Amino acid sequence: MKNELYSGAEYLNPGHVGCPGCGATIAMKLALRALGEHTMLVIPASCWAIIGGNYPQSSLKVPILHTAFATTAAAASGLRAALDLRGDRETTIVGWAGDGGTFDIGFQALSAAAERGEDFIYVCYDNEAYMNTGVQRSSSTPWGARTMTTPGDKWKRTYKKNIVEIMAAHRIPYAATASIAYPEDLERKLRKAASIRSGLRFIHLYSSCPTGWGFAPEHSVRVARLAVQTRAFPLYEVEDGTTYAINQAGDKPVREYLRTQSRFRHLSDEDIAQIQKYVDQEWKRLVRKAEEA
Amino acid sequence: MSNDSVNTFNVSLFFPKSSTSTVTNKTGTWSFMRPSYLEKTAPCSVHCPCGQDIPRIEMLVSRGQIAAAWNTILAENPLPGTCGRVCFHPCEKACNRGQFDEAVSINAIERYLDDAAWAASIAPAAARGSAKGRRIAIVGSGPAGLAASYFLSMLGYECEIFEAAEEPGGILRYGIPAYRLPNEVLDREIARIRALGVMIHCARAVDSAFLEGAKHTYDAVFLSCGNGASMKLGVPGEELALDGLAFLRSAKQGEGAARTISVKPHGSAIVVGGGNTAIDVARSLRRLGVSPTIVYRRRREDMPAFEHEVARALEEGVRMVELRAPLALARLDGGIELKVQKMRPAGVGADGRMRVVPDGDATELIFADALYSAVGATHAESWMVPPDDGRVVRLSHAAAFWDAPVGIPLLYGGDPVNENESVADAIASGKQAAIALDVFFQKGAGAVKAELARCAVGDGTSLSMEIYLGGPRANRSGRVVSFKDIPTDYFSPSEKKRGASLPPERAIASFEEIESSLDAAEAAMQAERCFNCGICNDCDNCRTYCPELAITALRAGRRDDWSTEAGPARAINSDYCKGCGICAAECPRCAMIIEEQQS
Repeated sequence: MKNELYSGAEYLNPGHVGCPGCGATIAMKLALRALGEHTMLVIPASCWAIIGGNYPQSSLKVPILHTAFATTAAAASGLRAALDLRGDRETTIVGWAGDGGTFDIGFQALSAAAERGEDFIYVCYDNEAYMNTGVQRSSSTPWGARTMTTPGDKWKRTYKKNIVEIMAAHRIPYAATASIAYPEDLERKLRKAASIRSGLRFIHLYSSCPTGWGFAPEHSVRVARLAVQTRAFPLYEVEDGTTYAINQAGDKPVREYLRTQSRFRHLSDEDIAQIQKYVDQEWKRLVRKAEEA
Repeated sequence: MSNDSVNTFNVSLFFPKSSTSTVTNKTGTWSFMRPSYLEKTAPCSVHCPCGQDIPRIEMLVSRGQIAAAWNTILAENPLPGTCGRVCFHPCEKACNRGQFDEAVSINAIERYLDDAAWAASIAPAAARGSAKGRRIAIVGSGPAGLAASYFLSMLGYECEIFEAAEEPGGILRYGIPAYRLPNEVLDREIARIRALGVMIHCARAVDSAFLEGAKHTYDAVFLSCGNGASMKLGVPGEELALDGLAFLRSAKQGEGAARTISVKPHGSAIVVGGGNTAIDVARSLRRLGVSPTIVYRRRREDMPAFEHEVARALEEGVRMVELRAPLALARLDGGIELKVQKMRPAGVGADGRMRVVPDGDATELIFADALYSAVGATHAESWMVPPDDGRVVRLSHAAAFWDAPVGIPLLYGGDPVNENESVADAIASGKQAAIALDVFFQKGAGAVKAELARCAVGDGTSLSMEIYLGGPRANRSGRVVSFKDIPTDYFSPSEKKRGASLPPERAIASFEEIESSLDAAEAAMQAERCFNCGICNDCDNCRTYCPELAITALRAGRRDDWSTEAGPARAINSDYCKGCGICAAECPRCAMIIEEQQS
């Protein structure tokens, strides 16, 4: 491995109230290291509304505009317009919402902003359920997972919405997945997103959740890495909605990933086989698109 | 609605705005686990008889810090040029990377380092310790004697070596063939030892009378006389056999000398034995144009010879006959007729080796122009080995007779007392004797075992002089890093490489050294394959992932001077560390631990 020295400024303060081993906190820390101080965040109801600090505290060294659940993309559009009026083109606006605020509640505002070609980065940090309110399923929760609202043998039997495909279908200039287990890739993608100004840029950022998924906090990065290595969460990017590139190969069986988390503990071999089949299909589709590019 | 409020657009936005940061929250109080930095011990170092700090050496080589890397070897081993060529490198067998793809090329990198240091005229850092006012006599200048004099000099003792032969080096000069170890390499290593002030008296054979009178001049004697006497075959016609060790000795003095004890080119020879001497004899004969056949009573896999040497011998055209025990020698038509008994394996014996028993009455006859005996060696005189006396303290690589009747301590090292007869084990002997003597003079015989245990590398028997002297390595934990401790996701498979070898047909044309050195770029690449088990290389993965910003670097940049600076120089702020443990779990080198917090 490369032994590059860790350098550069931090924009996260210690003393925040994220759970031990919180993947979403690592996600923010790495994202801001890439984006730098000229960044403004728009954060709706989410874990990060809490991690960001209880009034009058803030856990970030850059401004956050806290908004209502459904309005991240609308507020970010307005913030961009206000900065443009003041002649500030330097500051990057980042909508930073969880999967509930993106896949479900904030979706119409996001779709509309993408269609209007708004100039900001939208990061969905994805922990695959409404974690802040106590682990309720969202449309990002994967097939097979147990949550408080899909408990016992009523575990979720619908597939996770493919948000990057949906955003790519808006023909936005840049859509990408990223993972806390691949910091260099993550930081590169955020810098690239910041450099593109011709429309909305969307980053789907995998953020493991020890509390909600049921694994020991020290495994946050390992679980995130396994998600990529097993192709459960492939790393790829899409330019202009059409040009696909896969950033990281992986060929481990998805079982290795599922077995790290208690939310999947109940799955039978047949269930795991079904997930494997789905993962393989999705991967094949992705490879085909990347080959077309 | 009043007109006032309708007419003005200057509405103030009653947005609450944060005014402080979260740093006042001491979220570390949530924690019930506590991670910390703890450098550990790599398995390669434990299995290196010299206890070399291999993960550190590899890291320095990967960064191009050749002088520092070479001196890191010299801190524990005075003969890197020799060991880089002839060591059987048990380090590589223990290498955790071996369970991932292939072991790190530790041996070839050591060879590279010594060649590179020589080519660049790098000055060795090892210096004579401040004088302790004591003189030590050392008998024999093989690897054990040389190592003892080297380490004793580092500890401040005045050393004199007495060597029976014309030139120093013992088995290194007179036993190991030039195609494995050229004399020039040995000469420069011995010159380095002499530069520490060691006096080597050559052509000065000593006897038991010398030991009797030694107390008048010396404070202790270290006996490292080696196993210079060949063992007998113990069969009729024995006197017809040529002595393998004597042949190797002449071969090292040049081809002309070798021919005086060899059969003519295109002749044939039988070499009886399965140790390194037998292999060396056979391969040396091959270089004189002779066709040798090794006759061994057990199987190839039971040979005490190093496996890679056996493989090379076969590549070079040496033939091998397994499971044949010599019964008798006879002269026949100017040559030798060897009668052998066929043997068969008969289960593993108490010593862990396969036993063999005669396979019925089957005998065979083997003919050759000459027969060389190489069935092992033993000490030449009884005073060269520790007496059968209950007061003799047996250590892992040496024996100490503190209250010997001669009036001063006698210590014994090298092959006669070592379980494993190798150069590296002989060096380990010299180091163990040197440390033991120093402890004896400072604290008395009773303190020796505890002090040796204190400077043991990990859970093994090898010793570290750096730990003994209280260098930074002494701060490491003796816990040995295992393969499962390494998060191998941080490494990708890559190919192991040694230096290039002469093809067998060219190798047997002369006594020229077979293997060449890696070049600088290859060495750096090979060294980079090392997991650096247990030691921090400042990769800062811990800081990258810490969600709490709880890790501070106490030093800007990397640890440059490993000879003075200990530890990873990172601090964990317990005000904020919630004890998630990601830092320890993701440390690619296993240089951290996490423990339950004690209240």
